[in-house]
Amino acid sequence: MAGFKLADYAKIIRPQDMEEIILLAEKLAGTTVKMVNSTSVGGGVAEMLHRVIPLFNELGLKVKWEVIKGTGDFFNVTKAFHNALHGKEEKVTNELLNTYIEVNRQNAKEMSFEEDIVEIHDPQPAALIEEKKKSPGKWVWRCHIDTSRPYLPVWKFLEQYINQYDASIFSAPSFAKELPIPQYMIYPAIDPLAEKNRELSKTEINSVLEKFKIKTDKPIITQVSRFDYLKDPIGVFETYKLVKKHIDCQFIYAGGTADDDPEGVEVLSQLQDRASGEKDFHILLLPPFSDLEVNALQRASTIVMQKSLREGFGLTVTEALWKGRPVIAGAVGGIPLQVIHNFTGVLVHSIEGAAYQIRYLLNNPDEAKKIGQYGKAHVREKFLLTRYLRNYLLLFIILKNQNKSLITF
Amino acid sequence: MLEKKAKQPFCFFTSSVLVEIIGKRAHHLKEFVQLLKKIDANSIFYHVHHAFREYHFAPGEYSNDFARWIEEDLEESRLAERIAAINIRDFIDLGTLRAGLVKIIEEHLANAVEIRKVSPGREFYFLRNSTIVMPTKYKVNTLSEFMKTLNKVGMRSLYYHFFDARLRLGHHCNDFSNWIERDLGFKELAAKIEALDPYFITMDELKTHIINLCKEDAKKRRLGLGKTLQIIRKVLSKN
Repeated sequence: MAGFKLADYAKIIRPQDMEEIILLAEKLAGTTVKMVNSTSVGGGVAEMLHRVIPLFNELGLKVKWEVIKGTGDFFNVTKAFHNALHGKEEKVTNELLNTYIEVNRQNAKEMSFEEDIVEIHDPQPAALIEEKKKSPGKWVWRCHIDTSRPYLPVWKFLEQYINQYDASIFSAPSFAKELPIPQYMIYPAIDPLAEKNRELSKTEINSVLEKFKIKTDKPIITQVSRFDYLKDPIGVFETYKLVKKHIDCQFIYAGGTADDDPEGVEVLSQLQDRASGEKDFHILLLPPFSDLEVNALQRASTIVMQKSLREGFGLTVTEALWKGRPVIAGAVGGIPLQVIHNFTGVLVHSIEGAAYQIRYLLNNPDEAKKIGQYGKAHVREKFLLTRYLRNYLLLFIILKNQNKSLITF
Repeated sequence: MLEKKAKQPFCFFTSSVLVEIIGKRAHHLKEFVQLLKKIDANSIFYHVHHAFREYHFAPGEYSNDFARWIEEDLEESRLAERIAAINIRDFIDLGTLRAGLVKIIEEHLANAVEIRKVSPGREFYFLRNSTIVMPTKYKVNTLSEFMKTLNKVGMRSLYYHFFDARLRLGHHCNDFSNWIERDLGFKELAAKIEALDPYFITMDELKTHIINLCKEDAKKRRLGLGKTLQIIRKVLSKN
């Protein structure tokens, strides 16, 4: 991962916004922070920490990151926690709960918590809060999971730990609960300088299109998603059929390889069957690390779709919005936080609705352009790494000031 | 006039906010209005104002969270229209704004045939701000310095002095007008800036409007001074 500096981001946001980030960081000069999670590679949390921690340190804070060690049983139980917080009914035995507590205690013995602020990410290390009584700092629990409809027995177990923290952070209002501790909202973010999001030259975009044998002689409507029923690939194909009756266009459904996912293979094969013989419905199997390809396909599109039936926060929508493309998306999960209907994008609830909106935008390019521009401006304001950084600086200041709602310097 | 030194300098501040989730949500309008009556005033301020801060790039496209929810999720267009049209500047404090909102919704409920419940996940979640206010490096002593500096300060600084100051901090007037009247003595200019309608223009446009008003005022004063001098000269020459 390329190590970007604050100066690199200063080219993307307004100079005054960068000045304000520096101003906030000055109030925290020398503040020590420890981040704890359960993995240093893979997944959005680790990726974000890799990107954001060097920037904190460049700003004068002293931020460290530690990863807890776990056993197979431990990760089985935390995987069950993860599923249960997403709403799946999971049987977690007392023995497994004891494993969870024990592994946390074992990790605690090998760690120290001398920092001003300790931030614990997700349920895996949440029980480290038992160490708070020996620590001088403020403790915050950062939940990256959609906990809007958790399986209650597991939530109740975790809640006894969460309630001991000084504050918590959730990614969306609907993910939060009524807790006795303050709950702050910090949206996830994308890195505008990452390979998946950086500006591309026309040559780079064209070379990707050539690679996939896609011509630009008719409008392109793209959905980038795993081959998963919840992303509604068949619905995307049905939408294509409806639009194609009226407008000569092409659709791209681009998703990752599905070798280790039996359901993914089944979904892909079903989609291939349905779309067989349709030369304007392109199914692209992307290998891992196809960030440049995803970026180019989104930028080459006339419209980007995300016709999900269920979604987490939906960072793939954020990525599409950032490209300034008009986005038509299902009104599920975190998508309505990003796509404000008929303003920063278009929300749909059905195949017919999706087809109608695509036809509308293809026939009204000025409207499509305006929606795309507003979508991008929305991301610049609320979903970029720099906003994430600013939110964390604010959080640290608030924690150091006893969670006051108005702090004046 | 542009170089007249103020009694006290104007210090530009900036404010940053972190959103706090209260944990209260409404599934339908009756529940919503009950919560609205007792919710923290800071929450009301957040829901009617944050769009000006966050969607400053598209003024007028997004009115306020209450109206948006009522329109999009409850599909009560008439009520949504009335809530969207509420002129925040008509209210001197958040208590009266709350009462105004409650009155409109209760009038609607009194005639409602059906109370609609939103689908799961589309409830209204009450939020509020935690705010950090900091001085910036900018401090000005004259109108000329003020105009130059206004171009340099960030959008959050403008928001703080123009929006936050009036309703949430109870200043009853934007901070720029306060300073221009109190410390420079330019009452007419202060009133003109206070009369600007900032809700349908971008923050950059708001800056331009303020700067233009300052320029016009200075020109008028120069002309006024010129005429006075002419009269004095005439009187002196006659004598």
